Amino acid sequence: MNRALKRTVAACLLALLAAGCAEPPPQTESESDLQRKPGTPPIRPGSLPETLPADLVWLTNDSDPIFASPQAKRGGTLRMWMLSFPLTLRRVGPDSNGGFAAYTRYVHMPLVAFHPQTGNPIPGVASHWAFGADGRTVYYRIDPDARWSDGVPVTADDVVFTLEFMRSKEIVAPWYNNQYTAEVIDIKRYDRYTVGVEGVSAKPHDELLATYQPQIVPAHFHELTKNWVREFNWLVEPSTGAYRIGEVRKGKYIQLERLDDWWANDRRFQKHRFNPDRVRVKVIRDLNVAFQHFMKGDIDTFQVVLPPLWHEKSKGPDFDKGYIARYWYYTRGVESPGGFFLNMDDPLLGNADVRLGIAHSMNFDYVNQTVLRGDYERLQTFNVGYGDYDNTQIRARGFDLKAADAHFARAGFTRRGPDGIRVRDTDGVRLSFQVSYGAPQHTERLVVLKEEAKKAGLELVLELKDGASAFKQLQEKKHQIGWMTWQGSGISPTYWEFFHSDNAHKAQTNNIVNFDDPEMDRLIDLFQASTSKPERVQLAHVIEQRLHDAGPFVPAFAVPYTREIAWRWMHLPERLGTRKTDLLFNPVDISQGLYSSGGLFWIDVDEKQRVREARDDGVVFDPVFIKNEDNRH
Amino acid sequence: MIDISPLARKQWERFRSIRRGYYSAVLLAFLLIVSCAAELLVNSRALIVSYEGNLYFPTYGRFLPGTTFGLSYEYETNYRDLARQFREDGSSNWVLLAPVPFDPLENDLLEGTYPPYAPSLTSGHLLGTDSTGRDIVARLLYGFRIAMGFALLLLACNYAIGIAVGCAMGYWGGAFDLLFQRLIEVWSNVPFLYVIMIIASVMVPNFWTLALVMVMFGWMSMTWYMRTSTYKEKSREYVQAARALGAGSTRIIARHILPNTVSVIVTFIPFSVASGITALTALDYLGFGLPPPTPSWGELLAQGTENLDHPWIVSSVVAAMVVVLLMVTYIGEAIREAFDPKQFSYYE
Repeated sequence: MNRALKRTVAACLLALLAAGCAEPPPQTESESDLQRKPGTPPIRPGSLPETLPADLVWLTNDSDPIFASPQAKRGGTLRMWMLSFPLTLRRVGPDSNGGFAAYTRYVHMPLVAFHPQTGNPIPGVASHWAFGADGRTVYYRIDPDARWSDGVPVTADDVVFTLEFMRSKEIVAPWYNNQYTAEVIDIKRYDRYTVGVEGVSAKPHDELLATYQPQIVPAHFHELTKNWVREFNWLVEPSTGAYRIGEVRKGKYIQLERLDDWWANDRRFQKHRFNPDRVRVKVIRDLNVAFQHFMKGDIDTFQVVLPPLWHEKSKGPDFDKGYIARYWYYTRGVESPGGFFLNMDDPLLGNADVRLGIAHSMNFDYVNQTVLRGDYERLQTFNVGYGDYDNTQIRARGFDLKAADAHFARAGFTRRGPDGIRVRDTDGVRLSFQVSYGAPQHTERLVVLKEEAKKAGLELVLELKDGASAFKQLQEKKHQIGWMTWQGSGISPTYWEFFHSDNAHKAQTNNIVNFDDPEMDRLIDLFQASTSKPERVQLAHVIEQRLHDAGPFVPAFAVPYTREIAWRWMHLPERLGTRKTDLLFNPVDISQGLYSSGGLFWIDVDEKQRVREARDDGVVFDPVFIKNEDNRH
Repeated sequence: MIDISPLARKQWERFRSIRRGYYSAVLLAFLLIVSCAAELLVNSRALIVSYEGNLYFPTYGRFLPGTTFGLSYEYETNYRDLARQFREDGSSNWVLLAPVPFDPLENDLLEGTYPPYAPSLTSGHLLGTDSTGRDIVARLLYGFRIAMGFALLLLACNYAIGIAVGCAMGYWGGAFDLLFQRLIEVWSNVPFLYVIMIIASVMVPNFWTLALVMVMFGWMSMTWYMRTSTYKEKSREYVQAARALGAGSTRIIARHILPNTVSVIVTFIPFSVASGITALTALDYLGFGLPPPTPSWGELLAQGTENLDHPWIVSSVVAAMVVVLLMVTYIGEAIREAFDPKQFSYYE
């Protein structure tokens, strides 16, 4: 629910993140429809060796520090909520990309995940992995203990079936069809537990794992018939993670059940995690009503990132008397790039001085200090939160009327019209732009920006549309300035889809600024082709600098934290979360990209009883407010 | 010299004698005039600035950058600050501010505190501010002007089309009447709200497009009344007489039938105005109306219901709506009674 805040239009970063782990994040159907790419490329012949190469170096990870708390206790029921009941329990196909996708996807364990503190790969369903000499092949060895939740062992056949499944027309999932054809060339079985996955292009090792990792599907469960979409709509697919979907009451709730004898119970990075016996996700169709449920103690935790929820609603006797704890946790997760996207095909916005002048006319700090209560931070660059890839030298342009004046003057806007808006000296064209956006909750910040921009002689005409239409307008490049947020994910930045000329000047691509620069194309091509991480990092810094200099994107706000409130019986590890945690009380494994960071909390069932009695008797505890800034940039 | 018929004079006397309606009409007319001159009452621009011996009248003119008054910035002068500065300097310069020195679009924000701000005499926000620090008095007054303008425009267009089509249907009758009846029946079954929603999602409506759409769906109701009255009047002897004298259709409708159906038209006017105001407010409330940051009652109402912890937003806009709609209804009642040929009828 907080994510609504983080993204105006949550659209996913597709092109680079292929196959397995980096499927589009949950979003509404209309938006996911827009993401579908027309046509599926032809299947290319694979070149995987007939027998397993003898010189493979099998890797695993049994040395990185554990991040779960040994104090965790198993048991209890976590009670959560969702805004609407899902339209399907399928992982792929029509309607599968709604809010509940976070559960249908992540009750499955990936083959290989990433350590949320060190960023190194850690074993999942695959205990070992190895890289082929061609630089674009990954071999996986499946853990012989791995079981589907119905007890059937996970084998190489499941991985091979995944390719057939994801490429099949029966699943009606063009995005997956395309990804498993355009990015993955072939998957081959070598023995019961060993498979090879051949990808399209060479990459650094961690990128290979992130990209060429099939999202395994149980072969024994699926039957690819013409009616697959309908027949499997409400069937519960066996899962590999700690939970399986249990009781489903249509329109009311869905319950996840913990597998007592989960095969990975004692694995190094899985021990002491996924502690509640059950997770019940109830439908409550309104945020304010859900909050009332929480205050009554019918829901265990609540995410309160939005300033009014945190400052105005999260207070009162239950907080003062320590029954409800407040947590403010900074993370190093990927920031979703949001702000103004200036369409460079517009005759005025094609001028760099106009773009830079606009950047200097936006008083984000003032908005933050007033309507946003100083809670947010300024987003400095397009890509933030990718570790070494971040170019931290770049500072976003601040509100600076002198600088704005200099840029606008250089673009020929020295005079002001009778209303204070600049006009071009030569032909009297006004310095006025339409800002298209689709998030009504952002009107407040935009009207303040608009009023402040007048000081620089710049007029912004706000155009609020329905979310899907606003996104469509941007995708069709029919805007002047777009205000939106992309959903960030993955382990390294993506540039091609946003800033390569391949995607400029045409509809339905993500280069919504129509960035078209041969030097940028060259850098992006180098970045895509490079297999050395240091080189990629260096290129990323150069690309980011070039982007900053050209100024088609004016970064807005970053929210590098989660704020959650929870009843006193909910417990977190000593450090609350990991570097990559984006939801402290996340019951399933992965929430953002590939980092394994969920399921670290536990419920103290005895304490729950005690806290309830204490509350009835008026016994007071110390209030709990923990702000953890260990991971603050 | 305007020729007032004895009947009209009698109706006017009757209307005046209904105090509630009459005073409502006076007050509403006054409010309308006031809102037309809103810039003189509620405005962040000063009325008069006396600086270095020169007089400036910024209200209606072009913007005056801060440099005009020796300030360091080139954007529009902040006259409230200027007034304060002149007072502090003790110079002979002075500023005459509007009674409510705020613009409906400007955000009067103070760092360290967060809007909405409560009503206060010291800050000058008599009814407080909304959630982005915009003065509620200013938004109410300018919102009133827009809503009234919208309602009156709608009224004029709807009646022009409705009366023309209705009269034609009643006067000509036959196939023409039949055709239009069916046409209107079909057209009036198009769900108007959905149409607005669809349009609002594809393009951002402005004042004129919104009015156009509302007219497209609003002209029908008047046709039925006009058709009936025209039918009735058409068969009267004076129409026959006019025709016998050789008058054409246009002349008969305009000179003979229309004046005799005027009571029907006039009676409906206030209620149409009320429905125009409520329609715009409702659309703005739902987010399908005028684009932000246009001052609007519906937008204030939406903000108020979202911020019930800050009751001054919702209470002021609800009070304003109740008062205006009540006045309009009183006027309507009085008109209806004034035009009623039966002097002593009772409404139960």
